[in-house]
Amino acid sequence: MEKSTFTRRRFLKTAGVLTAMTALGEIPVELLAAIDERKMVRFPEKTDMILLTSRPPQLETPFHYFKELITPNEAVFVRYHISQLPTSVDLNEWRLKVGGNTEKEVQLSMDDLKTKFEKITYTAVIQCSGNSRSLFEPRVPGGQWKNGAMGNVTWSGARLRDILKEAGIKADSVEVSFDGLDGPPLPSVPDFVKSLPLDKAMEDDIMVAYEMNGKYLPLLNGFPARLIVPGWFATYWVKNLSAITVLPKQFEGFWMKSAYRIPDDPCACVPPGTGMKKTIPINILDTRSFIVEPADGSALKAKKPVTVMGIAFSGGYGIREVVVSTDNGKTWDETKLGKDLGKYSWIQWTYPWEPKKSGKYTLMVKATSSIGQSQPFEPLWNPAGFMRNNIEKIEVTVK
Amino acid sequence: MKNLLIVISILILAAALAFAQGQGSSNVEKGTVHSMELPVIQTQLKSGPGLDKVSTLCNVCHSVDYITMQPPFPRATWTAEVNKMIKVMGAPINEEDAKTIIDYLATNYGTGK
Repeated sequence: MEKSTFTRRRFLKTAGVLTAMTALGEIPVELLAAIDERKMVRFPEKTDMILLTSRPPQLETPFHYFKELITPNEAVFVRYHISQLPTSVDLNEWRLKVGGNTEKEVQLSMDDLKTKFEKITYTAVIQCSGNSRSLFEPRVPGGQWKNGAMGNVTWSGARLRDILKEAGIKADSVEVSFDGLDGPPLPSVPDFVKSLPLDKAMEDDIMVAYEMNGKYLPLLNGFPARLIVPGWFATYWVKNLSAITVLPKQFEGFWMKSAYRIPDDPCACVPPGTGMKKTIPINILDTRSFIVEPADGSALKAKKPVTVMGIAFSGGYGIREVVVSTDNGKTWDETKLGKDLGKYSWIQWTYPWEPKKSGKYTLMVKATSSIGQSQPFEPLWNPAGFMRNNIEKIEVTVK
Repeated sequence: MKNLLIVISILILAAALAFAQGQGSSNVEKGTVHSMELPVIQTQLKSGPGLDKVSTLCNVCHSVDYITMQPPFPRATWTAEVNKMIKVMGAPINEEDAKTIIDYLATNYGTGK
């Protein structure tokens, strides 16, 4: 197994080089990313990723990948919940079982998925519920992600509704559950199974994807097929999908009933440091935006024009406007939006900027979705560290 | 002759491209089988009383970087986490071992509160 790790020693060396480069002026964003002290690892079919945990794996995308409109397969983040991962899948044996409260049980091969159903394609943001959890204050336990548990991917596959219709949904059905090939390390550990309300599952755009950016999925991102619920958090996007079960009553599994819950409040928040009372399952992505370039901590030159650029997305409503501030939020300017890949995709934005004087500058970005959802100035808090979406800021030094 | 050179160049280029493309998938795809070998990554925990229990019991279900990735937490948070592992996540850890593990985490990965 090929493995490359970014050791502390190498980090210190790189940091020394970077200090010298800072004195000279600009630093490429890839090198700034290397300042991140976290260990880099290489897992099968993945590029060098930031290690959060190795078993089960949680791997974060280095931030500079978000310069691109589409995140390459090898750089898309990885997050498993339980440690028995499928390390080998034979498409001759793999079947997607569709049954439960249905007229019949069907077992679909990959060929069936590709030939029996219309192939649909769209680009959608995949984002972990706990993306940016490490930025919560007070800190909360869980996967300590920075901002790299997200990506923008073009997915292709079959419509879930068409697959469900093949099995025939009985009239009294209310939910659909989804299980993958991953399993618990002990029988006492709850298997990772998620569910959707039936009306959500029957929506036009819910997909069983067998292609990511025109290629098969990496095993660690869900080969041979994964559920795509565009506009919703990735906890529902069950990987290595093996069973779809229609249910006549609400699904009671641990990963729906106890985990991935948010406060039942429009802000999905509670006063920092307090507990939740009434909760609901996490669902739609909130609106977010990020500055990708210049990177946080960059050194720029006075009177030298730069292009500030980044990304913005919402929970499936597209983006109406992105504004930027270069004076710590006092004044805001409109940015130019890039190519529109549809309501589920993120959109790139650019803003030409020429810092006039030397000094430290705080840059901020704020997006508004087509239905008017925007981002709060101050972070909202909940005990699980979900759904961070406040206005992000970076600092640059102008010399 | 010149044409022949061009044809040869194109053939070499095509072969190189085919080789490069093959590199990405040859280690994972054999016919209809798609497989991977997961790396084993060792993480060093701080030494202290209870380390043996933490290394063996926590490690049954997950790598110990689940511990080292966390910021320092007060004892109450570590207690809640260990109890969650036992009561909710199904970890077969007895009361005495649970106490040892909580002490270890609060001492070595705690805020001192």
